[in-house]
Amino acid sequence: MRILFRLGLAASLAVSALSHAYLYIHGYQHIPMIGAAFLVQASVSFSLALLIVAGGPRWLEWGAAAVAGGSLVAFVLSRTVGLFGFSERGWEPAPHAAITVVAEVLCVLLWAAPIVVRRPLPKRLVVAP
Amino acid sequence: MTREPNTMSRRQLIRHTAWFGAAVGFAVVGGEVISHVAGSAAAERSNARPTLRFAQVSDSHIGFSGAPNPDVAGTFGHAIEQVNGLGYAPDFVIHTGDLTHLSTPDQFDQVKQMMTGFRTPHVFTVPGEHDSVDDAGQKYRSVFGAGTRGDGWYSFDIAGVHVIALVNTLNLKKLGHLGVDQLEFVKQDVAGLSSDTPIIVFSHIPLFAMYPDWGWGTDDATQALSYLSRFSSVTCLNGHVHQLFSKTEGNVTFYSGTTTAYPLPHPGDGPAPKPVTLPAGKLHDALGIREVSYTKGQAALALKETALQ
Repeated sequence: MRILFRLGLAASLAVSALSHAYLYIHGYQHIPMIGAAFLVQASVSFSLALLIVAGGPRWLEWGAAAVAGGSLVAFVLSRTVGLFGFSERGWEPAPHAAITVVAEVLCVLLWAAPIVVRRPLPKRLVVAP
Repeated sequence: MTREPNTMSRRQLIRHTAWFGAAVGFAVVGGEVISHVAGSAAAERSNARPTLRFAQVSDSHIGFSGAPNPDVAGTFGHAIEQVNGLGYAPDFVIHTGDLTHLSTPDQFDQVKQMMTGFRTPHVFTVPGEHDSVDDAGQKYRSVFGAGTRGDGWYSFDIAGVHVIALVNTLNLKKLGHLGVDQLEFVKQDVAGLSSDTPIIVFSHIPLFAMYPDWGWGTDDATQALSYLSRFSSVTCLNGHVHQLFSKTEGNVTFYSGTTTAYPLPHPGDGPAPKPVTLPAGKLHDALGIREVSYTKGQAALALKETALQ
């Protein structure tokens, strides 16, 4: 069960990263601040997704949730008060905005699920030195 | 030796450090790969055929007569021939104002007749202050105002690009002025557009403070530009200053165009912007036309300036 959560979390983060990378390549690279933010989001998300699949420590999942949650906050800001002077409307650019939001919400939920359920997960076996 | 249950052993510390290092390393590599792909895509697009190509001419001053250019109709005719000889038909031609020198009916008639010679589907204009010398632009609008709004402003969409033509030469005291009605027009005009829509703005007087002491700026342009701040690509093209100049402020790039009539001094050279008489044979070097092309996916427009031949 635990491995399924990890794989789901990594997959949703990878989808978010792919979407950000696609938008960066197709024009967002030219938007001041936003372009750099998209590049950082995509590269960090790819890295975390890869290492989570590889069986990295739990803090990687916290990092993934922080990146996904931060991206969601940035999305909301860009639709309301603006972010670094940049604002967009609704679900533009379609379909990437919707895909990204769904992936990031899923990522946060998959990170939170084991905590909310409070079901003690089997501890990883660590061989003492 | 005993250890607190919540403390980390050296081996655990090394392991976490290794994971952290791997996370940073993969992030850097990922960033490099994405940047490289983005660079390759941009290079590929630069070789693609432009989505939109148009030409800009400006400040023909038909009716002017003097030592700086004794034949403004002749040099404007050369400019038209040069546009027609580009090797392709531009999607449209824009004249950024001061079509005439003194706004007489004959001058408007002459410049309109001459501009029918452009081999292009559309010719767009905005008025300069010389086109509204004595009537707040009424004669200009009677000749070129069809389909415009207010005092002659308008917008249109072509090839995925939104083009806005503004009038900042009426109601001017020293600097150009847009006015409340036109500002509201800009606000409403772009309200429904996606932020990735490329925007091109034409005006006669610069929308940036090129040299306010000579009136080379627009006092309420900041308000208009604030409505465009959310767009990733905004390009403003103007005439009036009879010389090439460009400036970038955030997401907006301003390009002043040259003239087909006579040069003006560089900002601050002399007390006022009076026509400059160049040595014989040098006039055509100071006059010219501009080609502008937009390729889908590129934020910046490509400009090519050519002196009059």
